[in-house]
Amino acid sequence: MSALFKPSSNILFRTVLFIGVVVVLAIPVTLMTWARTPFGTNQFDPVTQPVQFDHRHHVVDDGIDCRYCHTSVDRSASAGIPPTELCLNCHSQIWNKSALLDVVRQSGATGQPIEWLRVHRLPDFVYFNHAIHVNKGVGCASCHGRVDQMAAVQQVAPLTMNWCLDCHRNPAPHLRPPDQITNLAWRPEGDAAAIGQELMKRYDVHSRTSCTTCHR
Amino acid sequence: MSTAPNQLLADDPLEPYPLMVGRPDDRTVTEDVLRPIWRPTRKGWLMLVGLGSVGVALFGLAVTVTFAVGIGAWGNNIPVAWAFDITNFVWWIGIGHAGTLISAILLLFQQRWRTSINRMAEAMTLFAVMMAGAYPLLHLGRPQFFYWLFPYPSTLGLWPQFKSPLLWDVFAVSTYFTVSFLFWYLGLIPDLASLRDASKHRWQRMVYGIFALGWRGSAHHWRHYRIAYLLLAGLATPLVLSVHTIVSFDFAVSVLPGWHTTIFPPYFVAGAIFSGFAMVLTLMIPARRYLGLEHFVTMRHLENMAKVILATGLMVDYGYVMENFFAWYGGNPYEAFAFWNRSHGPYAWAFFTQMTCNVLVPQLLWFRKLRTSVAVLWVISILVNVGMWLERFNIIVVSLHRDFMPTMWGIYTPTWVDWSLFIGTIATFGTLFLLFLRAVPAVSASEVKELRRQLDAEAAGGGTHAVPHLSQTRPEAS
Amino acid sequence: MPSMSDRPSLPAPSDGDRSERPDSRAALPKLWRNLTELAGAPSISPEEIPPEVGELVHLGRRGFLQVLGGSAAVMGLAACRPPHEKLVPYVHQPVEVTPGTPQAYATAVAIDGLATGVLVTSYQGRPTKVEGNPAHPSSLGAIGTFEQATLLDLYDPGRARGREVLGQPFALRPFLVRASELAASHDADKGARLRFLVGPSSSPLIGDLRRRLLERFPRARFRTWAPLSEDARTEGSRVAFGQPLDPRLHLDKASVVLALDADLFGTDPEALRQSREFTSRRNPGPDLNRLYVAETTLTVTGGFADHRFRMRPSEVLGFGQAIAAALAERHGLAQLRPLGHSLPAGSPHLRAAAAVAADLARSRGKCLVAVGPGQPPAVHALGHALNAALGADGATITYRQPVLHDTQTGPDGLRELAAEIAAGQVDTLVCTAWNPAYSAPADLDFGGLLRKVPHSIYLSTRQDETWARCNWKLGATHPFESWGDARGRDGTASIVQPLLAPLWETTSEAELLSAILGEGRSTYDQVRDLWRSRARLAGPAFEQAWSAWLAQGIVPATAEPVVRATPRWEAIAAAVGAVKLPTGGLEVRFAPDAKVLDGRFAENAWMQELPDPITSLCWDNAAQVSPATAGQLGIDNGAVVKLTCRDRSIEAPVWIVPGHADGAVTLPLGYGRATTVPQPVELDNKPEPLANGIGFDAYRLRRSTAFWFDAGLAVTATGRRWTFAVQQGDFAQEGRPHALSYTNGDWPKQGTHEVEEHRGPQPVIIEPVNYDKEAYKWGMAIDLSRCTGCSACVIACQEENNIPVVGREQVQRRRQMHWLRIDRYFSGTAEDPVTISQPVACVHCESAPCEYVCPVNATVHSDEGLNEMIYNRCVGTRYCSNNCPYKVRRFNFLDYRGEMEPTEKMLMNPDVTVRVRGVMEKCTYCVQRIERSRIQARVEGRPIREGEVKSACQQSCPTEAIAFGNLNDPTSRVAALHRDERRYDLLHDLGTRPRTAYLVRITNPNPELT
Repeated sequence: MSALFKPSSNILFRTVLFIGVVVVLAIPVTLMTWARTPFGTNQFDPVTQPVQFDHRHHVVDDGIDCRYCHTSVDRSASAGIPPTELCLNCHSQIWNKSALLDVVRQSGATGQPIEWLRVHRLPDFVYFNHAIHVNKGVGCASCHGRVDQMAAVQQVAPLTMNWCLDCHRNPAPHLRPPDQITNLAWRPEGDAAAIGQELMKRYDVHSRTSCTTCHR
Repeated sequence: MSTAPNQLLADDPLEPYPLMVGRPDDRTVTEDVLRPIWRPTRKGWLMLVGLGSVGVALFGLAVTVTFAVGIGAWGNNIPVAWAFDITNFVWWIGIGHAGTLISAILLLFQQRWRTSINRMAEAMTLFAVMMAGAYPLLHLGRPQFFYWLFPYPSTLGLWPQFKSPLLWDVFAVSTYFTVSFLFWYLGLIPDLASLRDASKHRWQRMVYGIFALGWRGSAHHWRHYRIAYLLLAGLATPLVLSVHTIVSFDFAVSVLPGWHTTIFPPYFVAGAIFSGFAMVLTLMIPARRYLGLEHFVTMRHLENMAKVILATGLMVDYGYVMENFFAWYGGNPYEAFAFWNRSHGPYAWAFFTQMTCNVLVPQLLWFRKLRTSVAVLWVISILVNVGMWLERFNIIVVSLHRDFMPTMWGIYTPTWVDWSLFIGTIATFGTLFLLFLRAVPAVSASEVKELRRQLDAEAAGGGTHAVPHLSQTRPEAS
Repeated sequence: MPSMSDRPSLPAPSDGDRSERPDSRAALPKLWRNLTELAGAPSISPEEIPPEVGELVHLGRRGFLQVLGGSAAVMGLAACRPPHEKLVPYVHQPVEVTPGTPQAYATAVAIDGLATGVLVTSYQGRPTKVEGNPAHPSSLGAIGTFEQATLLDLYDPGRARGREVLGQPFALRPFLVRASELAASHDADKGARLRFLVGPSSSPLIGDLRRRLLERFPRARFRTWAPLSEDARTEGSRVAFGQPLDPRLHLDKASVVLALDADLFGTDPEALRQSREFTSRRNPGPDLNRLYVAETTLTVTGGFADHRFRMRPSEVLGFGQAIAAALAERHGLAQLRPLGHSLPAGSPHLRAAAAVAADLARSRGKCLVAVGPGQPPAVHALGHALNAALGADGATITYRQPVLHDTQTGPDGLRELAAEIAAGQVDTLVCTAWNPAYSAPADLDFGGLLRKVPHSIYLSTRQDETWARCNWKLGATHPFESWGDARGRDGTASIVQPLLAPLWETTSEAELLSAILGEGRSTYDQVRDLWRSRARLAGPAFEQAWSAWLAQGIVPATAEPVVRATPRWEAIAAAVGAVKLPTGGLEVRFAPDAKVLDGRFAENAWMQELPDPITSLCWDNAAQVSPATAGQLGIDNGAVVKLTCRDRSIEAPVWIVPGHADGAVTLPLGYGRATTVPQPVELDNKPEPLANGIGFDAYRLRRSTAFWFDAGLAVTATGRRWTFAVQQGDFAQEGRPHALSYTNGDWPKQGTHEVEEHRGPQPVIIEPVNYDKEAYKWGMAIDLSRCTGCSACVIACQEENNIPVVGREQVQRRRQMHWLRIDRYFSGTAEDPVTISQPVACVHCESAPCEYVCPVNATVHSDEGLNEMIYNRCVGTRYCSNNCPYKVRRFNFLDYRGEMEPTEKMLMNPDVTVRVRGVMEKCTYCVQRIERSRIQARVEGRPIREGEVKSACQQSCPTEAIAFGNLNDPTSRVAALHRDERRYDLLHDLGTRPRTAYLVRITNPNPELT
């Protein structure tokens, strides 16, 4: 009988089979990888705000402490976004003509709040509390990175649950002395591990991993 | 050449029915087996498929509604959080047991009567497991997150809960499906080859050719084929027992009276085979007639299956007795009440129907006259299916609706969506089976030929040994 | 919008939530329109919003903004998250506000003019939780269902709003002008044709306004109307003492209490305090007090009683007289002889009367007799006489001047008003009373008369039956939105302070009255001026006092002094002798409903879905009858019957209540509503008022002359049936040891060792985890001796934990979502059942059956032994619920939240995730409160103190039946209760090791009656 398939079709068939298998395996792998890339985590994506607020200038040049604007960071769940009046405390005196600050002055005048854009977003079912972290020796930089080097703030940490757990399971390496909390540039001198252990005791750190610590 | 078998049957009650009526040569076997595929579509088949597709559409609608509205579209509530969904799941899985049992276990036990029925049984198994597989997904409150049940490295740093029987289900069912499918497909290859060669049109030859994986029936092929077949049989055998054992754990590991029972694993497996064979009969009796294969699928096969039903039925009855005995002997008031409630509660009707179908009716099979009557067998097989569905209903819904706290007792009433899903799966299952009958040989030609050789040899007084194997006498299939 | 921002304060459903953006956008313009009207219009801004309110208004606005921002912010699934959310900070951040941290404000909720002090938790201007104010004498820290439910009313998008005069919409300013014009037209005849119909009020502010109105319109009249008027009570004291006095029961001082048709712990205005005081003596032992209840309908109080005598309403007087007689004859209280009248031979209550009398006599000066408002004045007078004779006066009961402006709040005043209207003598009727058209006695046809009044001004929070019949319609401001004041029953005054700016264009009662007075002064100024003069303070001294009052929630030393009350025996005897009671045929009793009171909470979804404490009916009222009576009438549960009384008839479905008096039918008031659909334009989906179409309207049978009960009722079956929504499956314990109860006598002998087998360690294969080394081991204890079943905890839980309402149909499908349910069991005979209530929520098993069956680890154990439910991990297999022997898990079968209006989102507690469709949920021991306290404590570097974490249910409980705390702290109350000899575990033999322990109920029956 006449050959139904050419001999080459064997190779073709095997290749097709092989590709099929590969695709099936590749799909979940790709997804899992993607979820870990900045595309999946929204990292490294500088956000243009309605007001061109430059942390570099305020933190480095003016040496303003984080807590000057983010007032409730050490006593409340929320760090606090400065109210317009806080901006105007200074900017009614300096740069009070600058066009860059039109929005701010307008807000102050009309009572219409400035609508900033959120950079660090956690899902709605995650209950993060700034106060406890700050009071137990976790510095701003640990999660927010070198904001003092950002023209526009961007998210540097992946903010995945795994990332949170890494620290909650082993907090020591991420702790710093109380006076260095807002020092974005701080690096441990000497044996980081030892310092961490020492701080663990000093702060009486009990980082918890029970689900309701963050999900309620 | 379908000769009406009944005339050819021995009247002597001691004489067993023949495994094969007549001694068709290889060519005739192939012709008989392939005829239903080549012959033009029949009205009856078309109508059935049409009916089936309506059911499939209904199924699709019900699924859409479920996903759109949520589980609230069903009648489920608290306390009855599982109802038709899991009842159907267990029922279908149970049905899915006959195929593998026939193909694997009977093969290992060298039961010749498996030969001409295994193909249909395996197909039935595949489709049943597909239907079963639909429910675990459907019954999730948030089906979009089904993948959380699989162990994979997530960015949450979380894994599934390996203590939960539901997780074991996922593994058991998927494994079972894969193995049964391979088994079925492997058995098909030689016949696909003969289909390919017998095809009239080129496209047919192409299609069958591709699926035949270039089978030429060479001695090599046969050797590998047999090894693979045996290996798969060995692999499938434990699954027959494991799958329903694990399904039974869903209930056995709980604390709920009526669920928390150590006898469940064997009792579920027996029940599964019981219902599985019943479903095989339900399908095969009309199918052999439609395919005109009564001389291959003979009364011998039907009778043997009837005997298996009777045997497993008795095991199931033993299960019932023990359940109730323990409930009484164990002295746990909650458990005692649960079983009292089955026969005296608002769902007593379900209990008594179940008992009639599963305990009384199968006893008819003691009588040869009845178990060799095709009509009677068919009716009985259907009743057993009904009974086994109700058994699951009673275990799941009736145990749940009145448990520990009287203040939280409730009644479950199915909605139209519940019914549509149930009927929908039956229709889908039936349609798939009909398509199967038209697409591939419902009886394994190659194995029938082999069987014929064996029978010839016996007739020649040679006994079962020294049977020239197919591979020696090249079947004209290639 | 800090709180919203760093903490998305409305953790709304993850799935399909993008739909919320349009909502909030749609709402924004409305909001600003509203605010410009409030603040923009210069003409009103000075007097409309004083600076301090400005602060609050401001805060409220911000709060609103945040919510809008927040709702926009809530974009659900990480997968489909928007590029960037909005962060909306304050412009001027109020000093007291810390973003992300709630404040509690003290104010008061007045129902029928009697205030209960509350503390309202508020997140940046969004009140989310109402709790009791421990400093307030009517609350003592507890909070009832109704006070809590007012919060839902506040945010209800269906609230009435706007100002409409003769069909014309009016803004505030023009309206003030229009109102003063109308008022001016009455100056000529000194207001002869001007009438006011107001609700009961104790507010000094309103009182002051009334005084000034009457100065200007001497011939005008004020009438007060309350469907649940306590006139009989007042009248009774007038008969007994010659002056209207307000008796105050001191149940903590009484060892024997006799309640004559008095629902002391249920619908009584002082229920919170009375429950607390009574149960303070509810510990087993010699000091255990005893409660006798004689009543018709099985009430919360009756179910809690040690002895309950069921009788028709008209029999109560006879029962009281029999006791008087017995006291006079056998116990030498001669002064009672003229009142006494022994029961006819063969009366079922002969023994009871004798025994009760003996018991009362035994404990003179330590007993009291309470009479319910449903009984005629004569019975109240008799009660006073008994108390006087038994030496209760001054000891267990004291008398004060009533605090309400009008002592007459019942049908009589209304009848006169009706006559005036009918005679065409009323040109202007200012109606601020609650819905008279619906609630007025049927024989007055008040609804019809209203249409005759040329200018009928109606101020209401609802577009109810009266709204439809008046031609000046004003949406009323909610107490949480406006300044004011109110007094508790004992006179203690509270300043009512707003928690947020009015959500909608509304008017307050004070604003309306001062508008008619032609005064433009803001309510705020009026309250302050009034109290400044009352307190005789000025300048900083006053400011100091003022802020103290606001902070405390009460104005100290404002309670009415106790007055000496001397009974006038002849008058009482005369009254008792002269009383004519309706008799003959079936008796009908009109009762306040445990869910909707007199109907004013009918639009409140929380209250509608709250199972009735006795019948367990949701979304319904029913004609309650006893099993025997039902048998005689040949009717069963759900049968719709025609009730005919004095040529008036209604149709009602029947519910058979064990323990109900034979020969009587109880008709709960407040249902069968015909509220009109709210018209507000900005409502996307105009909801059909949820009270419409359910229940029946008992007011249609109520006559002004037979206000509380009547005789000659005819009941005929219509053959039609009605399917109720019942929360509870079975009311019997089926012989299972769920709610254990012993008598004071049996307990020490028999009970103590019987209970042993329901607690303690169980043989186990796997050694359970030991939590004794943990810093905190949270646990709960529920004392069945104290639980009256009042259901305050159920609403508290719903409010705290964002629990959705599922609606009548879903309840019928048994899908209600209450995390905390109250199981009530009836035992004994159907005629005289023993009722016991048992609150059941997740008991947080240490070996939890739900946990090991979850395939995705969505419910697990915390290091402190909490049974955690992680909604965002749940895929909804419902396996956990199947395996929960307590059946306390709740499943979101449908999207019960659906699309929320912006204001409904404001109600959500930002500390608790709003659950989506398809996930399981259950009691978490208010873990959000635990974590908040933990963080607070850890920041301050100290352990969490005993009592620092209170679960919502515990906090609300009037009887302190629920204790919660750290079991590893041996000094904690909960630890003590776990060690108590009455402690037992529910379903102990399952070995689940529940963290919630129950304490056996101990009753104190009179040996002579057992």
